[in-house]
Amino acid sequence: MKKKMSFQSFIIAGIRNKPGRNLATAFCFAFIAANIFSGQYLIAGAVGSVNQGVSRMGADFIVAPIEYTVLLRGSGPENTFAIVKTLPTVWRMNNNRMDTIGNVQGVIGISPQLYVATINASELSSLPVDIFGFDPETDFTIQPWLRQPLKNPLSQGEVIVGHQITGDILSKVQVSNRSYTIAGRLDPTQSAADTTIFMGLDDAYSLAQTEGVVPLSAPRISRGDINAVLVRIQPGEDPDPIGARIRRSFPPSQVTVIGRHFTLDPISQDIQGLPGLLKIISLVIVVATFPLIALIAAMVTHERQREIGLIRSMGAKRNVIFSLVIVESLFLAAIGGIAGVAASLIAFLLLNTTGILNSALQVSFRQPAVADTGYMAGIALFVVIAIGGIASLVPAYTSSRMNPYDAIRGEDR
Amino acid sequence: MINVDGLTKTFRMDNYEISAVDDVQLNVQPGEFILIFGRSGCGKSTLLGMLAGLIRPTKGVVRVHGVDIAHLSDDDVSGLRAKEIGFVFQFSGLLSTLTVLENVLLPTLFCTYSPSSGLRALELLEKVGVLDRADAYPHTLSSGEMKRVAIARALINGPALLIADEPTGDLDVDTEFEIMELFRQLNHEGTTIVMVTHNPDLVPYGTQSYYMERGKIVGKPKTSSCENLDLKSVSHLTTRDLT
Ligand SMILES: Nc1ncnc2c1ncn2[C@@H]1O[C@H](COP(=O)(O)OP(=O)(O)OP(=O)(O)O)[C@@H](O)[C@H]1O
Ligand SMILES: [Mg+2]
Repeated sequence: MKKKMSFQSFIIAGIRNKPGRNLATAFCFAFIAANIFSGQYLIAGAVGSVNQGVSRMGADFIVAPIEYTVLLRGSGPENTFAIVKTLPTVWRMNNNRMDTIGNVQGVIGISPQLYVATINASELSSLPVDIFGFDPETDFTIQPWLRQPLKNPLSQGEVIVGHQITGDILSKVQVSNRSYTIAGRLDPTQSAADTTIFMGLDDAYSLAQTEGVVPLSAPRISRGDINAVLVRIQPGEDPDPIGARIRRSFPPSQVTVIGRHFTLDPISQDIQGLPGLLKIISLVIVVATFPLIALIAAMVTHERQREIGLIRSMGAKRNVIFSLVIVESLFLAAIGGIAGVAASLIAFLLLNTTGILNSALQVSFRQPAVADTGYMAGIALFVVIAIGGIASLVPAYTSSRMNPYDAIRGEDR
Repeated sequence: MINVDGLTKTFRMDNYEISAVDDVQLNVQPGEFILIFGRSGCGKSTLLGMLAGLIRPTKGVVRVHGVDIAHLSDDDVSGLRAKEIGFVFQFSGLLSTLTVLENVLLPTLFCTYSPSSGLRALELLEKVGVLDRADAYPHTLSSGEMKRVAIARALINGPALLIADEPTGDLDVDTEFEIMELFRQLNHEGTTIVMVTHNPDLVPYGTQSYYMERGKIVGKPKTSSCENLDLKSVSHLTTRDLT
């Protein structure tokens, strides 16, 4: 038996023993919280996916020996083409040409790639597996496709594998009796990258020296050889003049410069407009729910007239009544807010795993990071609690001003 | 202890006025046990409400310990109620969301905190005979039990003045007797009591009895002329008190 009375226990008893009215109030708060949270969550997810999409657009140009020309198909937003890796060819050039490209005006990133060999290994994939060397430090086309960011920069003996290669992260893969650790795995690119193993250039050169890796029919690979240089240009710059400048920096008929035939800007602008729209919708809903909350608060207070009159007759001062009404409202707002955020989070997780979210949004939805999610939940809670406080101001004031005897007479006698 | 002078309460309705209490004079000395009789609607509850500062008088003064409570701030009147006055309503007045014990403890929230109030609440519940229902919710109590709980609650802060509006209104004779004996005991222990009742049999409990009619105290039942009394009361009074 509890032999003490406190304001908390009084408020909690009131909430616990009158579930009907409190559920209605908490539900309204939950609705608002869910709305605010979902809005932010959708914005963050969509923007995250656009940002990822941009980073996965691959190279703007590929500079390769004149012998080949290639574009690889990728699955960026709108299924456009992204240059993630070069084609597996044996036409090579020396990496001393890279500086020339890097110095061209408008170029902001260059990264070399080397095709080593194609192996058949049923334990890795039912399809032939390409082995590629790349430079993890300058790379800007492969690593954006990582499902999970690497814990540490890729080091010697570590590889990144395409989506269809078998093997868990941190497990070993065998390539021609050499063992490598899988450090990362790519999302599906719907390109040959899905069946490729990417390793650092040093590892690639050593592997290439191993007997039987590079077919005898193919020219030997020596240190410094690369197949292509992937080029990224200043965003927003017109690619054509830059491509022309790169071509002119080489002697005629030595390299081919292949450009990407699309830009992302129009799509991303569409999606960048989304946050504003969602914010407006959130605002409208909050504004529309506000009178509802205020109405419920007023109704609850009316229903509690007798109770308030009684505790006034026991000597409760006006400010006590005022605080009681406010605190109770804040409490319900907090409970409703937490419930609303939790419910939307669960709904999003379900929708996301079932893929409904992606198809409904028409953009790939990227689940925001835990910290960001916590921040958004915090904002939703804060807004809901603020609304709870503000909406209960008037009822709190009128209750505290009510004449105790009238309040009691208002109901049963 | 209480000094009432020219006390008047007029309720203004849309097109008429009700003079619920009309120019009442009343003096209550510490340690007295005052009984107020009167027909339904004559203004008894309104008078008690004004004594407790729950109703603001239209005119006149109510002095408690020499202080005119009509001119105190609302907070000061509340403070006075919390410490000095226990009020038992005509209806039970329990909070349905709280247990019996919590109801009794509720007024301690508005008074200076005392760690002994838990024990005191149990003692009071024992005194009024509902200790075994301490954890029950009010809707499971009989109306007699509710009244007892309401009385225990009115006493929790150890008030100097207990105001009770028909505390034995709808109770059987035995329960009424028990409650009146409790009141008598409290009174002997020093609590001043002002109580409204319809039962003239209770007159012997009081140190003073007053009869109200149409908002006025028209006399004491013992000495008042018979035509002032309603018929039911008269029969009781003549048989018991006028002999
Ligand atoms: N808040 C109010 N507004 C209007 N009229 C009121 C109000 N309170 C009381 N009255 C009126 O004042 C008169 C006295 O009421 P009061 O409750 O004091 O009577 P009472 O003597 O306690 O009656 P009962 O024995 O039935 O309890 C009644 O006519 C009642 O209708
Ligand atoms: Mg009455």
